[in-house]
Amino acid sequence: MSYIPGQPVTAVVQRVEIHKLRQGENLILGFSIGGGIDQDPSQNPFSEDKTDKVNGWDMTMVTHDQARKRLTKRSEEVVRLLVTRQSLQKAVQQSMLS
Amino acid sequence: MPAETLGEQSPGSQASLATMPEAPDVLEETVTVEEDPGTPTSHVSIVTSEDGTTRRTETKVTKTVKTVTTRTVRQVPLGPDGLPLLDGGPPLGPFADGALDRHFLLRGGGPAATLSRAYLSSGAGFPEGPEPRDSSSYGSLSRGLGVRPPRAGPLGPGPGDGCFTLPGHREAFSVGPEPGPPGGRSLPERFQAEPYGLEDDTRSLAADDEGGPELEPDYGTATRRRPECGRGLHTRAYEDAADDGGELTDQRPAFPAVTAPLAQPERGSLGSLDRLVRRSPSVDSARKEPRWRDPELPEVLAMLRHPVDPVKANAAAYLQHLCFENEGVKRRVRQLRGLPLLVALLDHPRAEVRRRACGALRNLSYGRDTDNKAAIRDCGGVPALVRLLRAARDNEVRELVTGTLWNLSSYEPLKMVIIDHGLQTLTHEVIVPHSGWEREPNEDSKPRDAEWTTVFKNTSGCLRNVSSDGAEARRRLRECEGLVDALLHALQSAVGRKDTDNKSVENCVCIMRNLSYHVHKEVPGADRYQEAEPGPLGSAVVSQRRRRDDASCFGGKKAKGKKDGEMDRNFDTLDLPKRTEAAKGFELLYQPEVVRLYLSLLTESRNFNTLEAAAGALQNLSAGNWMWATYIRATVRKERGLPVLVELLQSETDKVVRAVAIALRNLSLDRRNKDLIGSYAMAELVRNVRNAQAPPRPGARLEEDTVVAVLNTIHEIVSDSLDNARSLLQARGVPALVALVASSQSVREAKAASHVLQTVWSYKELRGSLQKDGWTKARFQSAAATAKGPKGAPSPGGFDDSTLPLVDKSLEGEKTGSQDVIPMDALGPDGYSTVDRRERRPRGIGSAGEASEKEPLKLDPSRKAPPPGPSRPAVRLVDAVGDAKPQPVDSWV
Repeated sequence: MSYIPGQPVTAVVQRVEIHKLRQGENLILGFSIGGGIDQDPSQNPFSEDKTDKVNGWDMTMVTHDQARKRLTKRSEEVVRLLVTRQSLQKAVQQSMLS
Repeated sequence: MPAETLGEQSPGSQASLATMPEAPDVLEETVTVEEDPGTPTSHVSIVTSEDGTTRRTETKVTKTVKTVTTRTVRQVPLGPDGLPLLDGGPPLGPFADGALDRHFLLRGGGPAATLSRAYLSSGAGFPEGPEPRDSSSYGSLSRGLGVRPPRAGPLGPGPGDGCFTLPGHREAFSVGPEPGPPGGRSLPERFQAEPYGLEDDTRSLAADDEGGPELEPDYGTATRRRPECGRGLHTRAYEDAADDGGELTDQRPAFPAVTAPLAQPERGSLGSLDRLVRRSPSVDSARKEPRWRDPELPEVLAMLRHPVDPVKANAAAYLQHLCFENEGVKRRVRQLRGLPLLVALLDHPRAEVRRRACGALRNLSYGRDTDNKAAIRDCGGVPALVRLLRAARDNEVRELVTGTLWNLSSYEPLKMVIIDHGLQTLTHEVIVPHSGWEREPNEDSKPRDAEWTTVFKNTSGCLRNVSSDGAEARRRLRECEGLVDALLHALQSAVGRKDTDNKSVENCVCIMRNLSYHVHKEVPGADRYQEAEPGPLGSAVVSQRRRRDDASCFGGKKAKGKKDGEMDRNFDTLDLPKRTEAAKGFELLYQPEVVRLYLSLLTESRNFNTLEAAAGALQNLSAGNWMWATYIRATVRKERGLPVLVELLQSETDKVVRAVAIALRNLSLDRRNKDLIGSYAMAELVRNVRNAQAPPRPGARLEEDTVVAVLNTIHEIVSDSLDNARSLLQARGVPALVALVASSQSVREAKAASHVLQTVWSYKELRGSLQKDGWTKARFQSAAATAKGPKGAPSPGGFDDSTLPLVDKSLEGEKTGSQDVIPMDALGPDGYSTVDRRERRPRGIGSAGEASEKEPLKLDPSRKAPPPGPSRPAVRLVDAVGDAKPQPVDSWV
């Protein structure tokens, strides 16, 4: 997805809802996240999925720490994500073309 | 007492509140660094030199201090060729897109190690003394350049002209913050701070900023201050080879705090300015010791039109800095027509430019002087701000926009403009999402909590102000889809989490109170519910309501909906209107279930404004002759709200006592309430009268409006109730009243008191005991006469006559007394009353820079004009983004 900084972006998103697991005292999700706008995007460990929103929180301009915090809030047991994927985008585009 | 016509406090008074004087407590500049004490932060600084090598230094700051950073802009020293001196190396192209971001995420003030090579050698000295600063301040450096995401990479080739103090930038970054304990890091170079021909900058006296809790730890905002101590200390950004320090940026901390070299932006702009203008006075003469000159205001404004975007951004940031707490500069900016320039920049394609422009506008919009606000409106500022809010994903920009709107909203002529352009956006973009309210609540998920973000606080403050603008404003807000629902949800969430003292809650309750004003007249379909007079329970007009234990009947909120079943019980003798579907929107304002919410707030909150507003809401809802008021009055009783209110009569705060007294007065339109109030509240009411007449200690004197409100309440409850009149006698009310009539300086107070006395005298049954106590008609009459007129009625249309329909009294209840609706208008950033109460923990102030107002506010004993709140500091130079990390970080969640 190319975008111009400062301009709105449209993307194909997928809604994902995850219920956190309880592990000891914590609620965990069970995966790792990488990136954040404070990170070097060229070295993102997981480049495939990008998260747009977490439980309503905008994730498009967050630092790594902020993203982590929003995913790991204790008060929320369910995390609803809006994720975008390159493959998703392509699939939709192809289906629209055909 | 203001007549009912305004249920709201007169805008005048509010306006004065709104426009906070530029007290030192107000912090306009956003550059506040606040960090939760004790939060360890880690800064990473990266410097990339043009040869592509990257140095990364990580510093761990274990102690966080509040950073107040002063920033002084210095010009780039010019070399003999008139171009800024660069210590070797090609100038960076800071203004090349994106190039800057890489390099300037200096965090933690990387020691000289992060300086690029050339400058390292120059042996510049770091400023002494700064305490460990939290990285945020350093982050500001990068902010200054306006680039957020660090990108590892070589410094791009700079513009050939090198006038952009690039090297300086680099230096600045590395130097600025003095991270961590000195021992903890190596500081190869120490810069020698020395004044460099810098005039003292006495522009603004930065107030001390105290961070607020709302400030996220990530958010570094360095407070930009310009202490008058002059620019003695500078952070020498780099050491120019040629001289002993061209300091490019002066970040001068007011106290031994680390300075963040915020001047990057300025630097660049200065550099460009320098190149363009060549006015550095001493450049030519003393190459060795370049003199710096800050750009003049017209120059800065001219830079706003500079073709190079970063220059624009930097100029705007510098402008914000200049305007901070400086009414003169703000005025001059307007006179020099700077405002249209800034408003135009709000639509600029580059985010950084927009952000900076908004920061400058925020500062400019703040203050007692309303001309700037008007000027901003005149050049289309409000729609531009709203556009920016819609488009912006960046939280900082949203905070700036909403903060500016809050500032503007305290100016009366702008309120409708803001409603016209911004109501929908503010509601849908901020209020609804942050409140946790969901339009179609998912049955499976539990209700979301409200997020008390700064953006929400600003927006709620803005809406609070505009909600006081009269009937049309109220109508618009009531009919704005989702607004009332979201506010209610947020308030319920606050009560549920026992977090009821913050500013956002205060704002929300005030909006609710304002919107509750005159609901019985203004909402669509109100006449359906009108009653001839507030009748006894159960005499309501409408048909029997099917009682259902269905939350949806009570508004469809998923909220902590335990009240459903309990609510039913309350209406066993009342007929509620038949509801075919859940109440939503403005209907929620007067559903009886709000009673519990307001009572919870009254019980739990320590915020006097919140208390006043909640009591005010109940007052508004209990007024009027419609069915809902009947239910509300009864519900308050059934929810055991009367004791809560009576207890608040003991409050030391005038406004709370006043609001509660008037609420009780309206509530006593319900007969059973009247009896109860007469029994249980009389002692407190009389105590207040006694305090009015003979204050127990100096300064405890109640205000006139409060006294009159209390007296009116007494009058209401002793009218048409012999028992209550007797209670008054038993509470020794008569001597207090007589003494008040005799001694009061206020005509209104005396009139009201004598009015009560006359009513008491009219009970023949009591004459006996009165005379036994030595009271004679003459004495009563003389008391009345002193009050100028036998029927001195505290309110228009004196009702001595108990045969007057209660309706009038209820109306009077609305009108008289201070406020029916307390618009609390001005308490926006311009009228921030949060902090003013001594008792009030100044939490609302939160975030960057506002804290500074706390101190003075605390000392302000006057309730009348709560010191204007700080407009949220506009610029947060430190990027909220975290550190620049060359290696990707991933976390397990």
